Amino acid sequence: MSKQMVCSCEDVTVDDIRHAVAKGFRDVESVKRFTGFGTGVCQGKSCLSAVAALLAKDKAQKPEGLLPFTPRPPLYPTELSVLASLPVDETQAPVGGMFEEMSVFPPVLRPEAPVPKKAKVVIIGGGILGLALAYNLSLRGEKDVVVLERGYLCAGASGRNGGGVRMQWGTSANIELAKRSIELMGRFARDMGINVWLRQGGYLFMAKTKAVAQRLERNAALHNKHGVPTRLLTLDEARDIVPGLTLKDAQAATYNPQDGVIFPWPFLWGYANACRKAGIAVETFTTVTGFEQSDGLVRKVKTDRGDIACDTVVVASGAWSPEVAKLAGVKLPNEPHRHEILSTEPLKPFLGPLVSVLDSGLYFSQSMRGEIVGGMGDALEPAGLNMGSTLRFVSRFARALTEQLPNLGHVKVLRQWAGCYDVTPDNSPVLGRTPGLENMLQLSGFVGHGFMMAPAVSERMAAWMTSGASDELFTRFSLRRFQEGKLEREDMIIG
Amino acid sequence: MRRLPDAAARGKSITLELEGESVPAREGEPVACSLVAAGESVLARSIKYHRARGPYCFSGACSHCLMRVDGVPNVYTCRVPARAGMKLERQNAYPSAKVDVFEAIDWFFPKGLDHHEMFAGMPVAEQVMAKVARQLAGLGLLPDAPAPARMPARIVRVRVAVVGGGAAGLAAAHTLAARGVSFLLFERDAQPGGRHLTGALEPDAPALPDTSALPPDSVRTRATAIGLFDDAEGRFLAVVVESPEGLQLLRVYAERFLLAPGGHPPMLPFENNDLPGVYSGHAASLLARRHGVAPAVAALVGSGEGLYALARLMEAQGTKLAAVVDLKGPVPASAPAGSVRGGAPKAHGLGSVSALSYESESGRRVKVACDAVLVAVGPSPSFELPRQGGAKVEFDEAREVFAVVADADGRTAAADVWVAGDVTGGGSTAQAAAAGQRAAEALSRELAGGAS
Repeated sequence: MSKQMVCSCEDVTVDDIRHAVAKGFRDVESVKRFTGFGTGVCQGKSCLSAVAALLAKDKAQKPEGLLPFTPRPPLYPTELSVLASLPVDETQAPVGGMFEEMSVFPPVLRPEAPVPKKAKVVIIGGGILGLALAYNLSLRGEKDVVVLERGYLCAGASGRNGGGVRMQWGTSANIELAKRSIELMGRFARDMGINVWLRQGGYLFMAKTKAVAQRLERNAALHNKHGVPTRLLTLDEARDIVPGLTLKDAQAATYNPQDGVIFPWPFLWGYANACRKAGIAVETFTTVTGFEQSDGLVRKVKTDRGDIACDTVVVASGAWSPEVAKLAGVKLPNEPHRHEILSTEPLKPFLGPLVSVLDSGLYFSQSMRGEIVGGMGDALEPAGLNMGSTLRFVSRFARALTEQLPNLGHVKVLRQWAGCYDVTPDNSPVLGRTPGLENMLQLSGFVGHGFMMAPAVSERMAAWMTSGASDELFTRFSLRRFQEGKLEREDMIIG
Repeated sequence: MRRLPDAAARGKSITLELEGESVPAREGEPVACSLVAAGESVLARSIKYHRARGPYCFSGACSHCLMRVDGVPNVYTCRVPARAGMKLERQNAYPSAKVDVFEAIDWFFPKGLDHHEMFAGMPVAEQVMAKVARQLAGLGLLPDAPAPARMPARIVRVRVAVVGGGAAGLAAAHTLAARGVSFLLFERDAQPGGRHLTGALEPDAPALPDTSALPPDSVRTRATAIGLFDDAEGRFLAVVVESPEGLQLLRVYAERFLLAPGGHPPMLPFENNDLPGVYSGHAASLLARRHGVAPAVAALVGSGEGLYALARLMEAQGTKLAAVVDLKGPVPASAPAGSVRGGAPKAHGLGSVSALSYESESGRRVKVACDAVLVAVGPSPSFELPRQGGAKVEFDEAREVFAVVADADGRTAAADVWVAGDVTGGGSTAQAAAAGQRAAEALSRELAGGAS
């Protein structure tokens, strides 16, 4: 069948690019994500200029607005075994990171029209939490809402995570939220008309030390109490689930078949589309510059496209939340921490669950596209909004991964990138009212798992905001707990 | 594709094993070259529509030639040298790459397949689709065995790290050597030379610089730069070096990085531009000049001086030119006879190219029979490394490519990152060599403390 290929790695045609533009995706990063061009083996070498030329020819974007998507390392596909050969000094903190794209988005991408002059609710952050909240507000009849996003949709952590969704948590609150979220994810395509490719292949956790093994066992019992069918596995049972897994040094393993992975990007588009259909303004490439306050209330949100008078403002800015709150004189205890991640060449399906070593935070799964996607936290990572990529990460990850699945040694890494976790002192979120600034609401601090909690949290927050009925979630996780010393410790953080 | 009469002189005759069948090859030539010379035009099936694919770019910059080689999936057969007894398998095809039942997907979705909205929310269809999509996803199968132990990674320190041993990089290397500045040059290919050895001939091209005149061990071949990183010790280039002992990772710390990686052969969007038998101009000149393999009858499409240089090269190799279609024009007086201005090219053929059609200036559709379509357009600058180093990259509307922004001496927005050659947009071999020399001179002055 006759087709005009632009990206032949991913079979993306000229028509596909035009379809994306017709759907409103006009900047190169967004067109890349919507069509998948440039995400294949060549990473855009043969297609990026051709796509830009097409966008220029069709006047989909101003010439100055045509910017290449970030060239992710490695420049050529590189075997995990080679990357694993680099020694890493684990006693030293990671330093630096490759130049990261668009930490400030170029003004040329900013829409020319002014933002709405007023709105009942202004949500700062067009990530999954902000969009999901706006959508849920619209379901409850509140459509006078504006969502402000500093970049394109998916520019922040919502577009940079591994797509893991799990019910295996260490606190009742998180278990219940995750259960509800996964239920909503299963209906997302029906509700929103866009596929998110939820695949419930389970999460297989393993522990390398006694203490962590005990934590797994204790949490499995808690899961069962909440109706989550987590079970302790013998190592042989674990190997039946993942053939070839060495389970090196494993002391214990747990498995919940209902956990899984989803494809993050369409989630944001689905919520954003539904918001726009309901009349909610989702303003991308728009930066909040300050607040106008009086009498303990936020009166206006100031942006680089004009001011918006509002009744309520919601800070849902992920790792940027402390910066945003600071503009209103509010100090959040959250700290951004870089977490790196990579994706390999696509392979035919062989790996069912997401596998994680709870001790090191190593995790890896196989995406619906066949890539191995995974990451591993670095205990020494300093706080800061750093999204640069390091060779140190790929090396540590490659070693930890091939230790568990040695046949992946020849598998090649196609790209690595980073995002920021929004870390709180007790690894639990910051929700609800702000002491001293009553109409500023907090929706942040999800420590790398906001993506999977968003559907359920936003549903409850919209109900709480519109009904006035109390909900313990917004007192239990309020900012006050840090002053009152009522911390809610979560001990199943990975990545 | 056929072997030119001097093929025997180009290396030892060996055989490769393609899915149980023997295929003749010359030792050391790219596997994909052996296969197309042996008439095996379909090397793979594409990831989504299962379209037949044969090698296109011969540069490791597309995915058309990926095969399973000796149990390792997704190997660039355009880069890997042929060795006797190598086992090759086509990927993503059932029951075979020549007759693949999943090609039906291509026919079912003539307008394309919107995987975001297809069957979204339709209870049974959605679940069936998810299962089918999962099984159809991916390219190769998991490797057969673990990788061998790799050599320990090494740290290398040098004043200037040069990336790319083409016209610009080699000129820069000679200039640095003449000024007594220590440098290391990393070339991805098995031998330096770039266009000097593999490009279409340009009348004013300078002679290939003599690399034996450079300091010993200053040129590392089969050395692929994979990223420009930084850490506590400063900026470093990560390089993977392939040697008979295996693969080794280097971290190369330098005071200056002179990046001359050239460009990638781009995909030119036109109907069936991915049909086996459609080759980049780079592939055509490389196969003809270095490996003695050329089409019998070729149709050329493209623009600029490169189109005509390629036409002359192919004619000199005995290839019959079915058409030379200049997509931008006007056709210069010096063009080979029969060159025309045209548009809307389309490749035709079942499984591989049998013809090219295009729209002539009078609006008539002209169709010519050929066994290869050669796409001669300017390279897409390989801006990745300079961009990773902080250089600015802009879209060049006239050339329709992204290119690194630099001053005449190759300075970029990042003080230690310099560029030369096609990475700034593309030009002739002579221009690239001159840019390499200028950058090396300016950079040497700066290192000597005499910065202007």
